[in-house]
Amino acid sequence: MSRSWALVILAGLIEIFWAIGLKHSTNGITWAGTIFLIYLSFVVLIKATKAVPVATVYAVFTGIGTAGTVLVDMIVFGEPFSWTKIFFILILLIGVLGLKLVTKKSDKQEGVV
Amino acid sequence: MGWIFLVIAGIFEVVGVMGMNLVNKFGNVKSYMILIIGLILSFGSLALAMESLPLGLSYAIWTGIGTIGGTIIGMLFYDEPKEWKRISFIGIILAAVIGLKLTS
Repeated sequence: MSRSWALVILAGLIEIFWAIGLKHSTNGITWAGTIFLIYLSFVVLIKATKAVPVATVYAVFTGIGTAGTVLVDMIVFGEPFSWTKIFFILILLIGVLGLKLVTKKSDKQEGVV
Repeated sequence: MGWIFLVIAGIFEVVGVMGMNLVNKFGNVKSYMILIIGLILSFGSLALAMESLPLGLSYAIWTGIGTIGGTIIGMLFYDEPKEWKRISFIGIILAAVIGLKLTS
């Protein structure tokens, strides 16, 4: 996997943590941590846009964040399990992988330069 | 009133995504300001919209406007690829995100 795609995924993973923070922060320290993570996810995201189109990066970022928070809600915070959610997460993975495959060419060119 | 805030939130999200394009292209203070102010106003209006509209629905529509708007602007002004495959996969991700937000 290329570096910029790893960055997009990293930004999405960080988004999962700040989304949890937005919901569950109770004091100054957790809020400060949440705001720092929001900042960090965008720094990583902007790095990724150097080689991958912005709209592509943004769609994948939102997708990973959403799927991740749904999974964390089910696994950690006791939200009810549902096959509908799993179905949408699988659809989302297809979208992300597909987007990665069709973006490969321009990504490689950037890698050479 | 909730719907008006939601549309405003979506528009500012597109401004934020445009800011990312500008940061990527110029990397100057002005482009960072557009990115940051766009996102703050977007989150703020979204929070206001959520006071009267359901959370999942608001988020789904907000993401929809942002992703579609950002994709169109990227293709029109920033030379991003216009292939149908790319547009379809962005559409698939968007559909899954909206589905997740509406069912959660």
